[in-house]
Order: sequence, then C-alpha cells, then structure tokens
Amino acid sequence: MTNTKTDQRSRPRLSARARRWFADHAHAAYVIRRLGRYVLTLWGALTVAFIFFRLIPGDPVSTYLASLEQSHVHNAEEAQRIVDHYRELFGLNDSLFDQYIAYLRQLLVSHDLGPALIDFPTPSQIVILRALPWTIGLLGLSTVFSWILGTVLGVIVGWRRESRIADAVTSVALALSRIPYYLVALMLVYFFAFRLAWFPPMSAYAPSIERAFTVEFLVSVVKHGTLPALSIVMISVCNWLIITRTMVITTLGEDYLVFAEAKGLSERRVAVHYVLRNCWLPLITAFGIRLGSIFNGSVLVERLFMYPGLGNLLVQSLLMLDYNTLQGIVALSIFGVLTANAAIDLLLPILDPRVKY
Amino acid sequence: MRFLRAAYKLWTSSAKFRVGLSIMGILVVLGAGQSILVPIIGDGEDPLEIAAYKQWLPPSSDHLLGTDRYGRDVLAMTLVALVASLKVGAVAGVLSTIVGVIVAFVAGYKGGLLDAILATITEMFLVVPSFPLLLTLSAYVRAVNLAHVALMLTVFSWPFAARTIRAQVLSLRSRPYVDLARVSNLSDLEIIFQELLPNVLPYIGLGFANAALGAIFALMGLEVIGLGPSETLSLGIMLNWAIGWGALSLGAWPMLVAPAVPLVLLFTGMTLINISLEETYNPRLREVARIEAPRGNGDGELH
Repeated sequence: MTNTKTDQRSRPRLSARARRWFADHAHAAYVIRRLGRYVLTLWGALTVAFIFFRLIPGDPVSTYLASLEQSHVHNAEEAQRIVDHYRELFGLNDSLFDQYIAYLRQLLVSHDLGPALIDFPTPSQIVILRALPWTIGLLGLSTVFSWILGTVLGVIVGWRRESRIADAVTSVALALSRIPYYLVALMLVYFFAFRLAWFPPMSAYAPSIERAFTVEFLVSVVKHGTLPALSIVMISVCNWLIITRTMVITTLGEDYLVFAEAKGLSERRVAVHYVLRNCWLPLITAFGIRLGSIFNGSVLVERLFMYPGLGNLLVQSLLMLDYNTLQGIVALSIFGVLTANAAIDLLLPILDPRVKY
Repeated sequence: MRFLRAAYKLWTSSAKFRVGLSIMGILVVLGAGQSILVPIIGDGEDPLEIAAYKQWLPPSSDHLLGTDRYGRDVLAMTLVALVASLKVGAVAGVLSTIVGVIVAFVAGYKGGLLDAILATITEMFLVVPSFPLLLTLSAYVRAVNLAHVALMLTVFSWPFAARTIRAQVLSLRSRPYVDLARVSNLSDLEIIFQELLPNVLPYIGLGFANAALGAIFALMGLEVIGLGPSETLSLGIMLNWAIGWGALSLGAWPMLVAPAVPLVLLFTGMTLINISLEETYNPRLREVARIEAPRGNGDGELH
C-alpha cells in the first residue's frame, strides 16, 4: 500500500508533451537521466572535496611553513616575502567563492593544478600523470584478473551447491572477504620477499634497468608487480566468488534451466550460456560500485611496496602536506570512479536487452 | 529480553555466527584483560617502559614475542594496542550508527525529495573513494587522542550504517500496520519508536557491524601511514614502526606478526558476524544460504 499523496508530491512536474516524448523514447530518457545524475553527483562530490580542503585549519602555505619552522629551516623576514608570493601563486588571497570557481575551472577546463610541493615547481598534474599509468596497470590487471577468476569460481561453487567442498570454499571466501589488502600484502612480503626472496619487496622495476619497452624491463615490471597484484587479487577473488555464487543460486530456480537440461545440453553449456549470461548484469554493476573501495585498499598496498602509483603519491603528498597534488589526486579518483560507473550504466542496455528503463 | 533470545537463536542456527562471535569474544577478553595480563607479563615491572629489557630480543620463555627496538615487551604492547583498536572501532561504530539511524529514518520514513537527497548523498559517500578524504583531513588535523580519531572516522563510516537501515525502513514503511498506526492518529515519532524501531533493530545491529568494520579499516590505514592518534599505542602504529625500523630485514618477525594477526582475526570475526546477521535477516540471502533451489534430475522430475 503506497501513499499516493506523497508520491504525487515527489515526482517532478513535466509538461504533457515532454512526458509523451519521454514515454516514446525510453532509452533516450534513460540516457539523459543517467547523465544528469552523473553530472550532479560529480559536481556534488567535487564540491564536498573542495569544502573538505577548505575546512583544513590554516592554509597550505602556513602549514608548510610551520613544519619548516619545526625543522629550523626558517628566516622570518625572507619567509614573509616568499609566503606572500606563494599565497598569490596558490590563489589563497581570493574570496572563497572565487577560489571555488578557480578550483572547478582548474579541474574541468585547464587541467592545471599549480605547482606541486613534492617536486617544486613541476605542476601537480604532471606529477600525477607520471604516477597514473602505474596505478592503472596494477589496479586494472588485478581487478580484471580477479573478476574473471572470481566469476568462474563463483559459477562452479554455485552450480555444485551440494558438495561439501563448495560449502567450505564459500565459508572461507566469506570469512576472508573483507580483510584489507594491506594485511595480505604484509604477509606476502614477509614470506615471499624476505624469507624466500622469490620476489622483490619494493618499487615497480629494478632501478638499474633503463625504462624502455625491452623484454628485460617488462620482466622486471612483472616481477615487481606480482606481490602487490597478488595481495589485491587474493581478496578480490573472494568477493567476486561470493557475488557470483549468490547470483547463480538465485538463477538456479528458473524454468529455462530445466528446459535446457531437458534438451540434453551438457552441464557446462547450461552453466555458461544459460546461467552466467543471465547473471552478469548485476556482476558488472557491482564491479563499478566496488571500484571505489578497491582504490581505497590499494593506497596502502602501494605505500607498502613503495609502488610509484597514485596511492603512494597520495601518501607522499599527505606527509609533505602538498595541497595541490592532494586536491588533484582526490579529484581524479572521484572523477574516475563516477565516470566508470556512469559508463557501465550507459552500456548496460546494450549488453542486456532485458534492462528496463 | 527479545534481544537475548534472538542472539541465542542466531548462535544455535548459524555456524558462522558461532565462529565469528568466538573470535571476537577471545579478542575482547584479551583486550579487556590487559590490565591484569600486562602486569603479569611484566612480573612487577612495567613491560612497556622504554629500555625495560634489552632491545631486539628474540622470542623466548621470558618474552613470548621478544622485545622491540626500545626494549619493550612485544606481547604486552600487542595487548594494550588491541584495546585501543577495539575501543576506537566500537566508539566510531556506535556514533556512525546513531548518525546512520537518524539519516535512514528521516530519509526512509519521510520519503520524497528529502529521501532522494539523502539517498544520493549516502550513495555518493559509498561509491566515491572516501579514504583519501579521510587521510587528508587527518593529515591537517593531527589527531592526538582516540576521541578525535573516532569522530573523524564517524564522518566517513556513517553511510555504511545508513544504507543498511534505510533499506529496511523503506520496506517497512509500506506495511499495513504502519498505515494502521497512522490512521489511529499516532504521531510520526510514536510510529517510529513503537512500530518501526523494533523491527529495524536487527538491521541497526547489522549497520553497526558494517560501520565498525569500515571504521577499523580506516583506523588501521591512518595509523599505518603515521596519521593516527599519536599518544596511544595501537596495532597500526606497531606496524608502522615495524616497517620504519626495518624489522623485516632484521628478521624481527614478531614486530610484524604480533599486530597483524589480531587485525586479521578482528576483520575475519566481524565479517563472519556481519554475514550471519545478513543471512538471517535479509530474506533474499536466506534463500541462498539455506534452501536448495529445485533442479531437475534428468528424468523429468523436479525435486
């Protein structure tokens, strides 16, 4: 029983013609609505981030100055001139609203974030772009690999529900599913890097090798990337296994499966073509939603391995209080996750014709 | 009373709950008992005093986990650190749940535009990686004690609780007995407290469990980087020290293993409790966990 009065109040009023157009072009309406939500959420998240950065007591220049003072690297008079110059440079003399507009303009239009304190005076966006490929490589490969492996295992475990092994595997996966990647990384580093010395404990590649597309370099990259990737994969696989298993089990009761078995199709064919194909819609949606938490977890992993990606850069700029770089990374991660989710939602109707708008 | 009966029923029916609660129970007992255990370990002296013992002693019968760089007993450190982590997790969890309950009830019960706004905000916090924001906040507001840290963690963990609770409030709002209560002229607040709250209670518990889990992860993350509460000994700080002191290359594995194992147990235990709560109270998951879906067996029969 719904409260019709509340419903009537909450739906936006559109003209009759507009409503008819939307009814006729359901797909277009969906795209418009989803894009609208995307822009709104993106704007909202970036504004919240802006407010956060402005909530910080003091301002970035004085805080940096204070930390310099602590290490006695400070001459008061000269410092004041430099401080004033930097305040101009960082735009801290403008009103809050001007700073907000400048912030949005920086992020969306000019992509110029100002000088980074980490590598002064290199602009922050250059510093970030240097780190970006490493994170995309590490996270990209780990998530894709764990998604595939987890989904396959999930189908197997969901399909053979009666087996004790499947139950045990599921319980183990459930128990491990929310252990931070960092703790797994610690154990992996301890065993494989220090006790057994099978893998190197740090960096993305051996510093002695030149950065070029040579086999030597690529092998080094793979060797250095294995442990970080493994720490992410081991837990992500558990998550995908659970999600897929749940989906498979809810699909198992469907009639078309009985029909498929009656037709005499092999179990594998039924599992892949009938069960999995009907499941993967929520799986892909879940993938997008999980991207944020995967990034959260990877920050600590990158820090542990000193892997030169966004996560490590984030921690470095935090410890140095490098304002511009911090803002840039936060904004980039927000933008990346929201865009990925919007892209997935827009692709869904193409991938699965059953999607109702 | 109902709560105890529900807990007992959960204990007897779900193995996951038994295991999870046992793990948490052991950790809580160890942590709570630290005021007794630490003096026992110290044998009269304070085992946490700097240079109480020789530094970097390997595990032995005197020091079950050896000593650290400043000559403190590692086992004693672990116990004290465990309490800090449990405390912050609990406090942040409770605060997050309170905020989450308020948001969820306002959004779920009132509905309409308010619900749309609050739901969008909740989802935004959940989808967008909020950990960098939390790190930034802590970097600039160097938290000194546990209370400040718990407060900051709450700002980031409340959506976990709110999402769980709001879903249930929404589903309950359209039930007949709520309409009946409205017709019988009960005020909104009375309806919320007398009709909705008792049925949402398990979900509030689940929301607390989720929020606490998120809070402890964020806490660990803060401490490991070095942005955690500076006056308290905690598991994450021990990890930070272990890495900073090069414990791995020195072969001083206790410094690394001693904080890592309780953390892993903490996460595992809480996850198991969460899952058993979800399986019992979320009707869709209940079907997945227990009932076997009907399948044909080849000769045309359905089981």
